[in-house]
Amino acid sequence: MIEIKDLHVETDDKEILKGIDLTLQKGEVHAIMGPNGSGKSTLSYALAGRDGYNVTKGTASINEQSLLDMLPEERAAAGVFLAFQYPVEIPGVQMSNFLKTALNAVRKARGKDELDALEFLKLAKKKMKELGVSDDMLKRPVNVGASGGEKKRNEVLQMALLEPSFAVLDETDSGLDIDSLKIVADGINKLRSPERTFLVITHYQRLLDYIKPDVVHILADGRIIKSGGPELALELEEKGYAGFLGQAA
Amino acid sequence: MSASKNIMKFPKKSRYKPETADVFVPMEEGGADWLRALRKSGFDELKEQGLPTPKLERWKYTNLLPLVKNFGAELGASDVVYEDPDKLVQNMGVLFEDAPRWLIDVLSQAPVRDDMALWHLCNAYIRDGVVIDVPAGEIVDKPVEITITGHDGAFFVPRTVFRLGEGAELTVIEFHKGEGRYWNNRVTNVIVGPNARMRHYRIQENSADAVYTQNTHVQIERDGTYEGFTLAAGAALSRNQIHAELSGSNATCDVSGINILRGSQHGDTTLEIEHKAPHCTSHQFIRSVLGDQAHGVFQGKVYVSRGADKTDADQLSNALLLSEGAEMDTKPELEIYAEDVKCSHGATTGKLEDESLFYLRSRGVPEDQARALLIEAFVDEVADKLGDEAVREIVRKRVEIWLKK
Repeated sequence: MIEIKDLHVETDDKEILKGIDLTLQKGEVHAIMGPNGSGKSTLSYALAGRDGYNVTKGTASINEQSLLDMLPEERAAAGVFLAFQYPVEIPGVQMSNFLKTALNAVRKARGKDELDALEFLKLAKKKMKELGVSDDMLKRPVNVGASGGEKKRNEVLQMALLEPSFAVLDETDSGLDIDSLKIVADGINKLRSPERTFLVITHYQRLLDYIKPDVVHILADGRIIKSGGPELALELEEKGYAGFLGQAA
Repeated sequence: MSASKNIMKFPKKSRYKPETADVFVPMEEGGADWLRALRKSGFDELKEQGLPTPKLERWKYTNLLPLVKNFGAELGASDVVYEDPDKLVQNMGVLFEDAPRWLIDVLSQAPVRDDMALWHLCNAYIRDGVVIDVPAGEIVDKPVEITITGHDGAFFVPRTVFRLGEGAELTVIEFHKGEGRYWNNRVTNVIVGPNARMRHYRIQENSADAVYTQNTHVQIERDGTYEGFTLAAGAALSRNQIHAELSGSNATCDVSGINILRGSQHGDTTLEIEHKAPHCTSHQFIRSVLGDQAHGVFQGKVYVSRGADKTDADQLSNALLLSEGAEMDTKPELEIYAEDVKCSHGATTGKLEDESLFYLRSRGVPEDQARALLIEAFVDEVADKLGDEAVREIVRKRVEIWLKK
C-alpha cells in the first residue's frame, strides 16, 4: 500500500505541492491528471527522491516504510520505479551494463543473489522478447539516438527487470505517436499484477484509453481537487481543465 | 636650466632564469666527438635558460621548480625491462660505441622551440636509452612493452628513438612506474617513414611523489600514421609534451589522452601539431577527470603551414571536475596559413550531470557506483578510439582500479 499524507514540496524555494493526500491499495492503478504547472512532475520526482525537490511537510510511505528519508537508490530497492517523461541519454554507458548494474544492485539490496553475465543476458532477452524490444538495444549507449518510442519502451523494459511494487509513470504518453503509445501501453499492461501498484501521471485522457485506471485524481495548483472513477477522466476531457478549475474555485 | 638626465640602463628582462640550473654540473668527459659536442651544447643551453618557470608562455600553468629542487647534482638510474618478442630493442649506450649516422643526426636534432630546456637537460647527460629501428616493410605484430621503474631519490634523463622504415608497422606500450620521490625527464624521437604506422601508448602510473616530464618529437612522412595515447594517472607533477610534424602528404596524426588525477596531482598535456604538407589529418582528443585539488592543463596548438592545403585538423579537450577544489586550465590554439582547410577546436569543463546521476540512482544504482559508471563512460570515449584492442582493455582496467581507490 502506498500512502501519501499532506505532502508539501518545494523546488527553487517555491512551494509546488501544497498538501497531497493519496492512498493506493496494492494492485490498484491510479491516474493523476492535471494541467501544465499543476505539480505533476514535482510529485513524481519527490516520490523518487530527486535532489532539489524538498519535502517541507507530510509523509509518503510504501508498505508502511517511510520513503522520504531514503536515497533514490534505496527507494528503488524498496520497490519504487519512476518511468521518466524524458528518459536521460547517457553516452558511453552501454545499455546492457546499465541494466545489469541496476538489476544486481536492486537484487543485492533485496537480499537476492546477483546474476552473472550469462544469467542476466538470458533474463534480459526473455523480457525483451515479451515486450518486443530488439536485442540490438543492449549494445547501444543508454537512450542515445533512440526515438521517443524506443526510449519509452526502454523504460518499460527496465521496469520489467526491476519488478517494482510501485511504478510511477510520468507523462509516459508525451512525445509518442499513436502506434508507439499502443506498444508502450501494451507493455505496461503486461506488467500489471495484483502485487503492483501504478500511479499514472498524464495531461491527456488518451493514455487512459489504453491503461485503464481504477481511480482518477485531478491535480491543480499543487492540490488534488477532485477524485473519482474512470468516468472522471472522460468528464475532464469534455469540460477541459478550465471547467474543472472554475468549479473548484 | 636644462639638466641632462641620467639614463639608467636596466638589464633586459629575460623570460629565462639561468640560476635555476646552478645545481647541474657537467658530465664527465668521454665518448665520441659528436657525443661530447651534444652534451656540451645541451649543457650550455641549459645553463643559459635554466629550468622552465611560469614566466615562459607554455609553462604558465605548470610550476616545475618547487618539485624538482635538489635534483640534478647526480644522475640516478632506473630499471628498464622489455617484453620484446621480436628482439627489436637496442640499447642506446651500446650503440654509442659505433653509432650509425642516422642516429647521431636524430639525437643531435635541435628542439623546435626556444622554451625546451628540459630537452637540453636530456642531452647534457645523454648516456643511455632505447632504440627501435624497424626496417622498411617489416610489420611487427606483437607490441613491444617497455617498463620503466624509478627509484626513490633518482634523477634520470633517458632518450628514446623509434624509427620506422617505409611501410613498417610497430606498436610500443610504455609503462612508467616507481617508488618514492624521483624525477624522470625524457626525450623521445619518433620517425614514421612513408606509409608506415606507429602506435605508441603510454601508461603513466608514476609514484605519487614523482615528477615526470617528457618531450616527444614525432615526424610523419607521406601516408604515414602515428597514433599516440597517454593514460596519466601518476606523478605529483607530469608534463606530457608532444610536438608532431606532418611532413609528407596524406599523413595522419592522432594524439589522445586520459588524465585521471586526484589529491594535489598536477597533469599537463601540451601538444603542438604542425601541418607542413597538404591532405594531412590530425586529431587531438584529451579527457581529464580531476578530483580533490587536482590541477589539469591542456595546451593544444594546431599550426598549418603555407601550402598545407586540405588540412583536416581537430582538437578537443573535455574535463570533468569531481570537486570544488579541482581546476582545469585549457588553451587551444589554431594558427593557419594555408587555403581550404578544415580545422576545429573545442574545450569544455564541467561536472557530472545531475540528471544522469539521478537517472542511474532511480534505477537502484548506489551513488558511488553511478558516479563510477559515468566517469568510466566519459573516459571510455577516448579509449574506444584506440587502434589496439589489448591497450583498450589495459586502459579500462586501470581506470576501473583507479575509481575503486
